[in-house]
Amino acid sequence: MPAKNRFQSELEFVQCLANPNYLNFLAQRGFLRDRPFINYLKYLLYWKEPEYAKFLKYPHCLHMLELLQYEHFRKELVNAQCAKFIDEQQLLHWQHYSRKRTRLQQALAEQQQAPQQPPQHGNASAK
Amino acid sequence: MAGRRRRIKSTKERLLSVLDDLEVLSRELIEMLALSRSQKLPQPGEDTQILELLVQRDKEFQELMEVAQQQGKVHQEMQLLEKEVEKRDSDIQQLQKQLKEAEHILATAVYQAKEKLKSIEKARKGSISSEEIIKYAHRISASNAVCAPLNWVPGDPRRPYPTDLEMRSGMLGHMANLPSNGMNGHLPGDALAAGRLPDVLTPHYPWQPSDVSVGMLPPHHGNDFGLEPPGHNKENEDDVEAMSTDSSSSSSDSD
Repeated sequence: MPAKNRFQSELEFVQCLANPNYLNFLAQRGFLRDRPFINYLKYLLYWKEPEYAKFLKYPHCLHMLELLQYEHFRKELVNAQCAKFIDEQQLLHWQHYSRKRTRLQQALAEQQQAPQQPPQHGNASAK
Repeated sequence: MAGRRRRIKSTKERLLSVLDDLEVLSRELIEMLALSRSQKLPQPGEDTQILELLVQRDKEFQELMEVAQQQGKVHQEMQLLEKEVEKRDSDIQQLQKQLKEAEHILATAVYQAKEKLKSIEKARKGSISSEEIIKYAHRISASNAVCAPLNWVPGDPRRPYPTDLEMRSGMLGHMANLPSNGMNGHLPGDALAAGRLPDVLTPHYPWQPSDVSVGMLPPHHGNDFGLEPPGHNKENEDDVEAMSTDSSSSSSDSD
């Protein structure tokens, strides 16, 4: 396989690891117990280097890749509940910034409304 | 000779012995004078002898007193010098303390400077141009890969990871090989036999950046992860198709 194609296929594969359902799929078929596969996962860690990482569109995959280096994590992934939990947490995290932004926008909107009410009392009672 | 060492008498002893002699001699003289009243001088030359001895002893005495005085002066000088020596000694000790302190401070400073240099080197190694970082940040945000779209509701198929559809339409999906055997490249025959390899070159989804990655190569690695050659093309295709969120269907592995 020419190196360029290998680059692209490895780029695709490593990003697939961001998908917890795919990880569950791999686990249930026993790939995560396979020694050559485990070696391959370790080899894939080169995607953490900046000159490679800049091609990643789904950076979550790097975190998954790091977790996959641990046997305990690989074992747990056989469990569909585990994969579902990871998926949920991942989605919640994904939504974190947009939630934060929405909150900020709301706070900003409230702030802009408040100063428009003019203060009433001051001058009239000075008489 | 019995080999006995002659002990040097101290000035004090000599003075005392001379005084004793003087005492004895003067007593004898007085006795003689006392006797000479009652009886005739038994030995005519004795009184002169005693007188001479007296004078001699007296002279010795005077000399010894001089010596004692000299010795006293010398002793005083010695004491002065000793004091000086003590003073110098304490000066030296203080200098030593200060030097030790200075050394300690300098050692600390040098150590901290070295640490700083280390961290500078580390920072320089990991430095990335801000432009690149901004470009990358823009890239991963614009595609909603790290931040959910603002109008996302449950039911929206978009995800922070490649979905089944994206995976299948990628290069790996088209090669219809198990993604786990990323190193199946050493059997290009399979892919060619499947007749799909040339079709790959147009990615459908922007997560396979063919334009940017021109010239990028993976790190050099032998094709050996302890792999067994893949012979399961058909089965792999089944696996890829069957990949879905909740299914736990296990296809039989034909090893």
